[in-house]
Amino acid sequence: MSEDILSLIKENVVQGRINQEDEGMEEGMEGKPAVTELVQKALDDGIDVQKIINDGLTSGMDIVGQKFEKKEYYIPDMLASAEAVGAAMEMLEPHLAKNGIEPKGKIIVATVKGDLHDIGKNIVTILLRGAGYLVKDLGNDIDDQTIVDAVKKEQPQFLGLSALLTSTMTHMRAIVQSLKDAGIRDKVKVIVGGAPVSEQFAKDIGADGFGADGFQAVSVIDSLNS
Amino acid sequence: MITIGENINATAKSVAQAINNRDTEFIQNRAKVQAEAGADYIDVNAGSGYGSQEQSIAAMQWVMDTVQQATDKPLVIDSDDPKVLQAALARYSGDNVIINSVTAEPERLTSIGSLAAKRRASLVALAMGEAGIPDNVSDRLAACDRIVKELAKLGVPTESIYFDALVLPISVDPSQGMITLNTIARIKQRYPEAKTVVGLSNISYGLPNRNIVNRSFMLMAAYAGLDAIIVNPLDTKMMGLIKVADLLTGNDPMCRAYIRAHRKGLLQD
Repeated sequence: MSEDILSLIKENVVQGRINQEDEGMEEGMEGKPAVTELVQKALDDGIDVQKIINDGLTSGMDIVGQKFEKKEYYIPDMLASAEAVGAAMEMLEPHLAKNGIEPKGKIIVATVKGDLHDIGKNIVTILLRGAGYLVKDLGNDIDDQTIVDAVKKEQPQFLGLSALLTSTMTHMRAIVQSLKDAGIRDKVKVIVGGAPVSEQFAKDIGADGFGADGFQAVSVIDSLNS
Repeated sequence: MITIGENINATAKSVAQAINNRDTEFIQNRAKVQAEAGADYIDVNAGSGYGSQEQSIAAMQWVMDTVQQATDKPLVIDSDDPKVLQAALARYSGDNVIINSVTAEPERLTSIGSLAAKRRASLVALAMGEAGIPDNVSDRLAACDRIVKELAKLGVPTESIYFDALVLPISVDPSQGMITLNTIARIKQRYPEAKTVVGLSNISYGLPNRNIVNRSFMLMAAYAGLDAIIVNPLDTKMMGLIKVADLLTGNDPMCRAYIRAHRKGLLQD
């Protein structure tokens, strides 16, 4: 029984359905219970919260990631699934501490100074939250010092920096340097992303990782986290 | 509709490389094929994000010289750095020129607006302020109001402004299509003497079959009052449909341009 409901949760994450009125990726799913109804049912049935997350939500999101990588899924599909996972995580939130479940890690994200593009950063934030990380989003157009101060204060394991302009990506290099100058470079892993940013650029500036899209960001952070 | 060719932009890696290597043939070829494909203006963006301001200025001046040797088409000078724009204007021999771009952000609006006034250049102005791209029509219009007022003080007439109504991906927010279209319509209502422009490919970001979405959106934007478009002029289907848009919005007297395009085989079904 518990496996049935978990695989239904997973299936509905893949379909990107938050509640029963939602259309899925495929036709004819309206009216059937979706992620939030199924998660409620799983909680009522006393299914282990960690199992709901791992075998339902996360394994569903893994499939979405694979489909996105294969270009079978597009951004709206990915967002629908991420929103469904986000809604489920909100329902599970009160049960997490009770069951001794900790976030996988703490991450600060920001779009750098002079850059007002936040769409990519927001997608990464949604996916990271869905993957079980605690994310603090500083916003966009954030100057270097504010970012370094936030790292000092919040002591996250990761710092995610986004830039969409060739003229603003240079701030990433400056921020890495400022972290060094502040003596905290080894306390935080720096991940960079955004249209003009490349693996090579990440290496050049001494960042720890590069994500070409939201799913890559999550998998890079997962691999650096283990 | 005025078409601005977008293919000389250092955001594209191949162009950045050509500029770095001072590859005259590559850049001149890009200029020529865009001119031949019917672009009314050619956008020139030489900023790759690496290097100093001096290097950016040198790169821009080289591109300006190189492009002008290849074509007589007027240029759109594209940079967010006033010093780069100034250096580019100094190398420009034509009369008709568009500076791309400013926002309502006061400091750059003043410095770049003054450049435009001195040179009698037109100016692309993004309908946004310091806080980023507003997600609604009224805040975009408010930015336009501030831009018109400030530029008027500097001596840039409203008819020299190309307002960029701004396009955000519909894949992330389904309301963005109508927000851009309504912004265009409202700008034309409030400032009929100003022009409107968009670079519309952002609308289809993250979707399959982007070309269909882009072309359809162009037609809708034409109805809303779009005057100019930043576009890949080698997209022959798009260029053909732009003729159709002019025809259907009454901007092609006696249907001459449309029929001429037909005779040249430029219209694809």
